[in-house]
Amino acid sequence: MGLFDMMNISASALSAERQRAEVTSANLANAETTHTDAGGPYVRKQVVFSATSGSPFRTVFNGIGRAAHPTGSVQLTQVVDDTAPPVKRYEPGNPDADSTGYVEYPAINPVTEMVDLMGSVRAYQLNASAVTAAKQMIQESIDILKS
Amino acid sequence: MAGISTMQLLEGYLKVNTDRQQMITSNMANIDTPGYHTKDMNFQAAMQQVAYEGNTAQVGPASFEPASMEVAGLPERPDGNNVNIDRESLLLSQTQLQYQMGVQLIKSQFHTLLTAIKEGS
Repeated sequence: MGLFDMMNISASALSAERQRAEVTSANLANAETTHTDAGGPYVRKQVVFSATSGSPFRTVFNGIGRAAHPTGSVQLTQVVDDTAPPVKRYEPGNPDADSTGYVEYPAINPVTEMVDLMGSVRAYQLNASAVTAAKQMIQESIDILKS
Repeated sequence: MAGISTMQLLEGYLKVNTDRQQMITSNMANIDTPGYHTKDMNFQAAMQQVAYEGNTAQVGPASFEPASMEVAGLPERPDGNNVNIDRESLLLSQTQLQYQMGVQLIKSQFHTLLTAIKEGS
């Protein structure tokens, strides 16, 4: 079932890149958030991608039913917090200011986030074109049935 | 190559192309995975295997198992990933066209057979 596995692999990448874009958007949206439920400023999130591999092609291909993640697909394994310390700004009037008048802001650089966002959009487009290629190949093999 | 029919060979050709396309797709999927290395297959060796297996008449193209190997000589990014978008895009188009050619050849085989049937009446 190579052709459909191809689409599944591309779909896993589309999903992973979309989640990466979501996390990046959340970082951008909360670039100035000083107050969270957990206390303290918002902490920048980063995604961790990993490739599914290890089992040989044969095992996956002959597996019962459809494997959830065919070999070679990509998965978002975890979302980790950035360890960078928060940025302190002197704002004595702010309700989130500490006793010395400093407010902790998340260490988020909008430029970094924008570049990350563009990277995920481009990767999404690349994988979307791979899906198109797979669809065309499936369509062509269906066309064998036509005269 | 004596015992293998054109149709079997073409079937194997499509199978090899499908497996290669899957490798290219998975390279594209892992374009942002740290430490991932580009994988590809030896197309010539895979075709020879298909032709040979078809010849022994015991196992057809269905038992074909692609030999996945890492591609040498690609520059690695700082995160250990060496997927080259241009290489993968080019191979995606190339493999797609090769697949299309295989399909057209199979269709022409069937057409030849149909002609033979019809001319007989």
